[in-house]
Amino acid sequence: MMAYSEDHIALAAEYAIGTLDAEERAQVEAMMSVDTEFTAMVEAWEQKLGVLNQMVGSVEPRPIVWENIRAAIGHSGTQAPLLLPEAPPPAAAEIVRPAVAIDNSNVIRLSAQARRWRNVATTMTAIAATLVAMITLGVYQPDLLPDGLRPKPRTQLVEVKSPAAPATPSAQYVAVLQKDGGAPAFILTVDGTTKNFTIRKVGAAPEAGKSFELWLISDKLPRPRSLGVIGSGDFTARPVLASYDADTINAATYAVTVEQAGGSPDGNPHSAPVFTGKLIEAVPPAAPAH
Amino acid sequence: MLTPAELVWLIAAVAKGDEAAFERLYAATRAKLFGVVLRILRRQDLAEEVIQEAYVKIWNNAGQFNPGMSSPITWMASIARNRAIDVVRKRSEVSIEEEPAAMEVAADSPDPLARREMSEELKRLLECVGRLEPDRQKLVLLAYYNGWSREQLAAKFETPVNTVKTWLRRSMMDIRECLGL
Repeated sequence: MMAYSEDHIALAAEYAIGTLDAEERAQVEAMMSVDTEFTAMVEAWEQKLGVLNQMVGSVEPRPIVWENIRAAIGHSGTQAPLLLPEAPPPAAAEIVRPAVAIDNSNVIRLSAQARRWRNVATTMTAIAATLVAMITLGVYQPDLLPDGLRPKPRTQLVEVKSPAAPATPSAQYVAVLQKDGGAPAFILTVDGTTKNFTIRKVGAAPEAGKSFELWLISDKLPRPRSLGVIGSGDFTARPVLASYDADTINAATYAVTVEQAGGSPDGNPHSAPVFTGKLIEAVPPAAPAH
Repeated sequence: MLTPAELVWLIAAVAKGDEAAFERLYAATRAKLFGVVLRILRRQDLAEEVIQEAYVKIWNNAGQFNPGMSSPITWMASIARNRAIDVVRKRSEVSIEEEPAAMEVAADSPDPLARREMSEELKRLLECVGRLEPDRQKLVLLAYYNGWSREQLAAKFETPVNTVKTWLRRSMMDIRECLGL
C-alpha cells in the first residue's frame, strides 16, 4: 500500500460510511478517478462495511422500477457488437501494455471495457480516466487526447494506468472547481514536480462573447493572479504555475471568472468567482518500495 | 438469494450484454438493494429513482466488477448506497429543517439477525464496532444504516459537528486497526 496520510485513510473511510458532505464526496470521487490505489482503499472500506447490509431487511420495489430500468438500458443500444479488437490499440498503450493472452475471460473484460468507455461519456469517471492517462503518460498536449471525451473503444487509455511505470512519478494534485458545492464545473490537475497544470471543462460553457479565466488567489499575494483564459476545447494545459512556490500553489484557492472574450484586458478579474476549489493531493509521490 | 458464486457468474454475463442474466441478477438482488436505499432516503419515490439509476450503472459497469476485491452483493449495494447518499447530501443542504419527522422515524435500529445467520466478516466487524464506546458504536451504525450527515448526527447526539467529526474519524481508525486493514 502506498504511503497515504492518515487524512487520506480517514477520508476514504468517511466516504464509505457516508458522512462526507456533497463537496467532499465530489472531491473524493475526483481523487478516485485519478488514483487507483486510493480507489482500492475506498473500495476496501466499502467491502468491510458492506457486510452491515446483511442486517437490513429486504423491501420489494414496485414492478414499474424494472420496467424503467429495462427501458433505460434498451435506449443505450445493443451491447454485443461493441467488441474491441476491431481497431489496433494506440502506440502509447502498446508500450506499457504488452499483448495479453487471448482467452475467454479476457474477451469479457475487453468488451466490457469497450462498453464502459461508450457509456461513461458524460460522467466524471470518464473525464478523469482521461486525466489518469494524461498523468501517467506525462502527456500534457491536449491535441493528443480524444476529441470531446467520447472515447472510442480503441482508446484504451484506462488500461494504461496500472502497469505503467513513469520515469519520474510525482505527486498529482486535483482541485474540483464548483459553484456552491454543486456539480463540478472544472477539474484542475497540477503536477507536483513540473507544476504543469491541466484544466478540464466538465460542464459549464461560457455565454456567447465571454471567456472563462482561471485565477490563483493566495493570501501571500496582493491580488488574484491570472493563470490564463480557459480555451474553448475540453482541455487547457499550461506551465505558468512554475513561477509560484509549492506552498502558494498548495494553499491557494483556484477560481474561475467570466471575462470578456479573450480574457481580462488589465490582469484583474471582472466578475466574482463563479467556480472555486482548492487542491487536494490525489496521487502521493511514488514510494520507493511497495 | 443466489449464492455469491452464482451472482459473480451473472455479473460476468451482464458484462457481455446478456439481458436475461441481468433480469435474473435484478430479481435476486432488488429487494436487498431497495431495502438499503429506502432506509437512507425514507421516501418511496426517491428510493425508486435511485434504484433505477443504480441498476443502470450496474449494467454499464458490470465489466469493472472484480470478484477478487468485492463480494458481488456488496459491490452492487455500494453502487446503490453511494447514489442514495449523494441524493440525501444534495437534498439536505436545502431541506433538513423541512422534514423534522424524518429523523425520528430513522432512529430505529436495523433488523436483528440471529448470530448464526451472520457471515464471519459481519461478526468480525461487529466485534470491532463493539469495542468502541457505546455512543460511538451507535454513531457509526446510524451513519451507515441511515446515511446521516455529520449535522444530523450532531443533532442526535446533542454535540457540536466538529466533535462528531472527530469521533467518526477516531472510530473509523479504531475499526481499521481492529480489522487489521
